[in-house]
Amino acid sequence: MEISTNERMDHFMNRINDGEKIEADDWMPDDYREALIRLISMHGISEIMGALPEKEWVPKAPTVYRKLAIMAKVQDEMGHGQLLLRVAEDLMEPLGKNRDDIMKDLFSGKLKFHNVFHMKAPTWGDAGVIAWLVDGAAIISQTMMLGTSYGPYGRALKRICAEEVFHAQHGESIIMSLAEGTKEQRALLQDSINRWWSSLLMFFGPRTNAETGHSNQDKNMRYKLRTKTNEQLRQEFLTKYVPRVWALGLTIPDPTLRFDAESSEWKYQQPDWEEFKKIVTGHGPKSKERLALRVQSYEMNSWVREALGTCRISKVTR
Amino acid sequence: MVSEKGSLFYEVYEVFSKKTDTSALQHQFSLLAPNQELAFIMAKENFFRREQVADIWVVKREHIKRMSQEEKEALNHLEKNYRETKGYGYLKKKWRQYEQEQLTEKDIMGGGEG
Repeated sequence: MEISTNERMDHFMNRINDGEKIEADDWMPDDYREALIRLISMHGISEIMGALPEKEWVPKAPTVYRKLAIMAKVQDEMGHGQLLLRVAEDLMEPLGKNRDDIMKDLFSGKLKFHNVFHMKAPTWGDAGVIAWLVDGAAIISQTMMLGTSYGPYGRALKRICAEEVFHAQHGESIIMSLAEGTKEQRALLQDSINRWWSSLLMFFGPRTNAETGHSNQDKNMRYKLRTKTNEQLRQEFLTKYVPRVWALGLTIPDPTLRFDAESSEWKYQQPDWEEFKKIVTGHGPKSKERLALRVQSYEMNSWVREALGTCRISKVTR
Repeated sequence: MVSEKGSLFYEVYEVFSKKTDTSALQHQFSLLAPNQELAFIMAKENFFRREQVADIWVVKREHIKRMSQEEKEALNHLEKNYRETKGYGYLKKKWRQYEQEQLTEKDIMGGGEG
């Protein structure tokens, strides 16, 4: 019996609306697959693009304990990248693509990575702010997607979120030391917060399509890939972290920032969304350098892939 | 740029593990590795940096027979009441008619124990 595409689509939407999880080999509409590939390969590659500059902190971290902790975090981020790329690869397989294509898309600029990893992180204060607030922001968007309709992504996120909690606490610990430290240390920390504020607001993406011309949030909500809007996530972030930043006697570089009791909403100055577009399309202050770091690591390790990948063939032919 | 399309480096392995000796084997995730030995090393690195583990298995995905969506959905339609205790629930009422309590699952299982 021939099943029409419409019937398949209805069945698919019923499964999603019933809270069933879609698995890699199940039938899915092309735009669901495309949305997942875009979302998950971007997420996966961002984990790796974040880990690369972060590993540069290992020799410079101030104590052995901090070195061990940041090394563990880097290893986790790489592991998250591995998990997520596996999820993306299984979705790409029917299209005849694999990890190699993900890498090529990254190098060519077709595959984007998170805005925060295009930015400068010159001081140890930045390392702390990244772990506390960037990972804090990531936790908010990742936990929102734990119930995603795509089973393998949800399972990957469950593992990832558990480890992110350690990252956030590692960040909190750095922040606490600096906040309770000397005048210079506090100034260093304040500088980092000032430097990262607009990137943190941008992290969640624009409120509506109006800011950047396009956004995938409507489709992703309909397919239950996500359950909250960019703005809802940003508001949660502000509620969670602004009072804590203030409690440490630090300031946020936005004089208009306040909680409006009437609308139960944070009012804040919009970041420059034109700038955001430039950053995520590879024109941020560190975009080229970070990508070069990735290309270098890929090329330096290519002999390993070659040696291990062909050993079975050479054994057979000899 | 190096192109490694179709390279044998990228083979999919599924990772299973047991938390303790008595726990059931659980699927963890999959990974890419060029051979079983590296798959095992990567499984340890990727999934057990923190958590307790008593045993780890890695299996090449192509060696696993998995179910298709159709096969899985067909499972939902099977009625197997005759195989399960819930298919015999009416007996409780019957025994009452004879002024007897129905033996529970525990009663039935516990017969031989001291």
